[in-house]
Amino acid sequence: MKATKNNRSTMRRWRGVTTLTASILALAVAAGPIVNSFRTDIDKFLGTSSTKLVHDGDEDISEVYTYTSDYESTTELVKAIEDLGERMNEEGSVLLKNNGALPLTSDETQKVSLLGFSSYYPVMGGDMGSSLTPNVGTDADTVDFVQALSAKGFKINSNLQDLYKALEPQFTTEIDNWGNKSIFIRITAPAIGNTFSSKEPSQAVMDEADAGWKDNLKEDNVIIVTLARAAGENRTYLPGTDGVDASQNLNQTDPLGLSDDERDLVAAAIESKNANGGKVIVLLNNASAMEIDELKNNDGIDAMLQIGLPGGYGFYGVADILSGEANPSGHLTDTYAVVNKNAPSAQNFGDFPYTNADPAYSINSVQVEAENIYIGYKYYETRYMDCVLGEGNASAAVGSTNGTEWSYDNEVSYSFGYGLSYTTFEQKLDSLDVDLENKTVTAKVTVTNTGDVAGKDVVQLYVSTPYTSYDKEHGIEKAGVQLLDYGKTGVLEAGASETVTIEADMQYMASWDSSSDNAAGTKGCYILDAGTYYFSLGNGAHEAANNVLSAQGKSESDGMTEAGNAAMTATWSLESLDNESFALTKNGTAVENQLEDMDLNYWMPGTVTYMSRSDWAGTFPKTYENLTATDEMLAVLDNDNYEISADNGDASAVTFGADNGLTLAHLKGVDDIDNPDYAKLLDQITLEECLIRTGFGGTSTKAIDSIHSPEAVQNDGPNGIYSYPLGQYANTDASTGDPCAIDANDKNAGYTAGVMGNETVIAQTFNKDLAKEFGQIMGNYSLWANLPIYWGCGTNLHRSPYNARNHEYYSEDAVLTAYQGASFVAGGLEYGLLIAPKHLAFNDTEINRTGISVFMTEQQARENELRGTQAVIEDAGALAVMTAYNRIGVYTDNSHTGLLINILRGEWGFKGLMSEDFIMDANYVCLKEAVLNGVTMSCNTGDNTMAAITEKYGYWTVENVGKDARLLTALKQAMTYQAYALANSNAMDGYTPTSHLITVNTWYDNLILGLQIAFALLTLLGIVMYARSAKKESK
Amino acid sequence: MKRKICAGLYVNLVTIIATVVGFIYYMINCNTAYFANLGVNPVVAGCIIAAVILQIVLIVIGMKNQPMWADILPVATSVLLMLGTINFVSARVNGIAAIITFENNAENMADLNSAIIGITACLIATVISIVASFFDVTKEAA
Repeated sequence: MKATKNNRSTMRRWRGVTTLTASILALAVAAGPIVNSFRTDIDKFLGTSSTKLVHDGDEDISEVYTYTSDYESTTELVKAIEDLGERMNEEGSVLLKNNGALPLTSDETQKVSLLGFSSYYPVMGGDMGSSLTPNVGTDADTVDFVQALSAKGFKINSNLQDLYKALEPQFTTEIDNWGNKSIFIRITAPAIGNTFSSKEPSQAVMDEADAGWKDNLKEDNVIIVTLARAAGENRTYLPGTDGVDASQNLNQTDPLGLSDDERDLVAAAIESKNANGGKVIVLLNNASAMEIDELKNNDGIDAMLQIGLPGGYGFYGVADILSGEANPSGHLTDTYAVVNKNAPSAQNFGDFPYTNADPAYSINSVQVEAENIYIGYKYYETRYMDCVLGEGNASAAVGSTNGTEWSYDNEVSYSFGYGLSYTTFEQKLDSLDVDLENKTVTAKVTVTNTGDVAGKDVVQLYVSTPYTSYDKEHGIEKAGVQLLDYGKTGVLEAGASETVTIEADMQYMASWDSSSDNAAGTKGCYILDAGTYYFSLGNGAHEAANNVLSAQGKSESDGMTEAGNAAMTATWSLESLDNESFALTKNGTAVENQLEDMDLNYWMPGTVTYMSRSDWAGTFPKTYENLTATDEMLAVLDNDNYEISADNGDASAVTFGADNGLTLAHLKGVDDIDNPDYAKLLDQITLEECLIRTGFGGTSTKAIDSIHSPEAVQNDGPNGIYSYPLGQYANTDASTGDPCAIDANDKNAGYTAGVMGNETVIAQTFNKDLAKEFGQIMGNYSLWANLPIYWGCGTNLHRSPYNARNHEYYSEDAVLTAYQGASFVAGGLEYGLLIAPKHLAFNDTEINRTGISVFMTEQQARENELRGTQAVIEDAGALAVMTAYNRIGVYTDNSHTGLLINILRGEWGFKGLMSEDFIMDANYVCLKEAVLNGVTMSCNTGDNTMAAITEKYGYWTVENVGKDARLLTALKQAMTYQAYALANSNAMDGYTPTSHLITVNTWYDNLILGLQIAFALLTLLGIVMYARSAKKESK
Repeated sequence: MKRKICAGLYVNLVTIIATVVGFIYYMINCNTAYFANLGVNPVVAGCIIAAVILQIVLIVIGMKNQPMWADILPVATSVLLMLGTINFVSARVNGIAAIITFENNAENMADLNSAIIGITACLIATVISIVASFFDVTKEAA
């Protein structure tokens, strides 16, 4: 009996052991395909590589590195990034006010008191997206404000520093994403659905921490107060008190306005200055325009400098401006309104759900951009001009801050394009020639430094186009002034002059007329109205508006805020309406209406009144909420808008799997996509490869065996390539001949380049060359880091300052956005880096961005947001684009043929690869519709098998897709676009026609295999031992 | 012959409860707005359901004189739970990554809640099932 009991016990033991080992074996076996699904991300995380480049031929490998770096080492590279980051903020910080307090004398730099917790804990990048990547122990370590000031020889009051250090826990925000805790010791932007909470310590808290803290200001009486508002992807501010944490009771009427704690701090600084002498300087550390009229009007504040989010090195530039080492030359990219929530765009900024929302299809909410073309200065300056001209009920109370007559001075603190210098400049418009045949406007402007110190100046060329009865009749809107182009001088010594020549693209002064006849024989065309066109220079849009008004014979007696200068203007007249000059785009494509279905009135006639300058009072936007999608809309909103069918042509005519003996390397640098070798190459690709690679394109563009296309790793931006450290994918094998191979122990291998000032800083430079230099230096970085694709050029507009993601976009203005973006992209392409503009298009809010229906007129779409990307494609030749989460009206962005095929690829001639944004929901990915519309990859990842892809997208099978000729053709076209982009990028560096990638086992592959073998054996052993025990039991 | 209840019964019952909890939350999660379009993964559902059935069979058989072949049941149960759990995790990784980064909002976090609870419950069930395999449900009374 006892023996039996023991045997049973032994059996149990071996049964348990077998269970344990079999379970781990199951885990190890299941891990194999899962690891394959996430291989790129795992390699990223572990720093491993699953492929290896092999050359079969005897080519001189050193000759196949097409692109070469300007730098000999990573030290030179990162030092150059550091230098650029410093210069970016020297030119990209905007001096808003200065009574002579700046620059500081050398003595004054030795007695600086920093107030405001954001002086010590500044916002240097986004909470999420364009976040700063701190670098320590490299040749270019990142610095905050205090470190930069110290490095530049400033002396900072340490007692105050200690005071704020002691209060540090109060500045902490912890964001818990299921265990993934992000700790921010600085101000943060509100998450979606949350409100803004001020973290500025009250005077009482400061007194409690150190009762004598104000005594520090007596001696160190150069007081710098930093006020900050953070930014972040997937974050948002909300207009007015709805966006503020009411429980704080800080008399804060808007999240972008000031709290009493901030006001009290500034007041304390001024009080101290009044008592002890010294200066009060305010730094604005923000990307979205803040409400700062009270600071502007406070004479106790001697100077105010807007510094953006300076990144890892920008504070060096800020320090240089403070000391006078650099002369500020930045200009605002956005209008600083007195009250942001009074803007027309704010009336429809928020969460406005459909009454019949359906999360199963990502049908959530609407955003009706009823403000029409009037965002930013296009609203404020146009309404102002109409006030002066007595047109369109512009002076009505609607939209005014004080509820009475609308008056510019009560509505705008600083206009778009405004900025001061330590010197003065005189601009003289020498000549302006309009060449309609060549579609250019050429302005020659002589800029003279009339002050005492050297500096740079920006020439801003605006145009005021006629607003005619035809426009009123046909619903065409015109901005009173709009930026047409800009240029920047070099450093001008005192008394020196430079002639700046601007050759502006005339298509950007044309207006979209949805009712016009066109060259295609349909409706919709760009037009130039008959009438007089005024061109004007100006330090900002408001000065330009005043100059135009002056040229029109108006004066302060007509209500102008100040006299204009007609000498800064030129005119040009057109006798009759012209709908022919811009009927064809630069590549000869006839334009026509493409976005009619983006107007809500297309689906629900008569619902929306879009704002018109013909009647400001009668058309000022109301809030469009509680809308119910009609059945017709729901039929599109379900995201299933293409039926795969055998009736779409002869599927057998589409070739796959041919043996043409080509590799992608044969087409390296071939920049004609119509070269027949591209078609031959793509005939080699298999349908399975097309299906898998379009469906699983996230994090890296994977290798394609049949055409020997290499894996190209993707990166996020825009503040620099920050997804991976420099050494993650760098070549550490110098024997390959790679001129950018690094040593495995390179000091800068851990350097990550998310260090540049944010995009508003770059735009505030108004310097295309600096934007281009950033592209070039990222191009260099990509050569060393082997990172050829970069989602790095945010070209959405600042429709509203409440969008907390504005830090990743340049400006409220389309032209400034387009030219800074185009310069950046062109700079990267010189080094084979594919910089993608994103997000095409209308990603104007982070609220409900996966599914939100964005509605607007086609004129608004084309002249604002789309114009912000157009030059990046047409002029810079971008070879990559990222689409958007949101819908274009009711269609998902990725399903909209008018936008993606007819405008992007048709009118603009885009030939490159195109990725979706990070959409994970297979229904909302709309893969078949996306491929048909030229999207080359979704952002999902998965195993390189048909089983995996079909599991994700049930209809995406060889059998199903293989019968649809239209879809097959689109798939091959998508892969052609992708191959073309890669062939013209540095992803092909090191590749020859005989080279190919082989798969290699990483250590974790070996580990999994080892575990499988070991636990298979142990399981077997368990079974055997169990069987032996059982045998004894039987006996 | 009378049989005495052993620890295995209780451990197996706890396993069943954890497994059922995991399954319920898996189904809840499959019907949330964010994850609904992924549908019900037959491998996950199949493995979990099969594991519950096997555990019930094991307890029923174990209450009597458990035949030797029934010793395969705890092994199969744990393997099934392991496979179900890992496929559950695998099917949710992209969604979890998206929600904690790009798509972080209150609704999506609520949807994620059921996934986290379900995965945790399945993981616990797997571990306990392995522990349970070292015990019998009953033994002969002395």
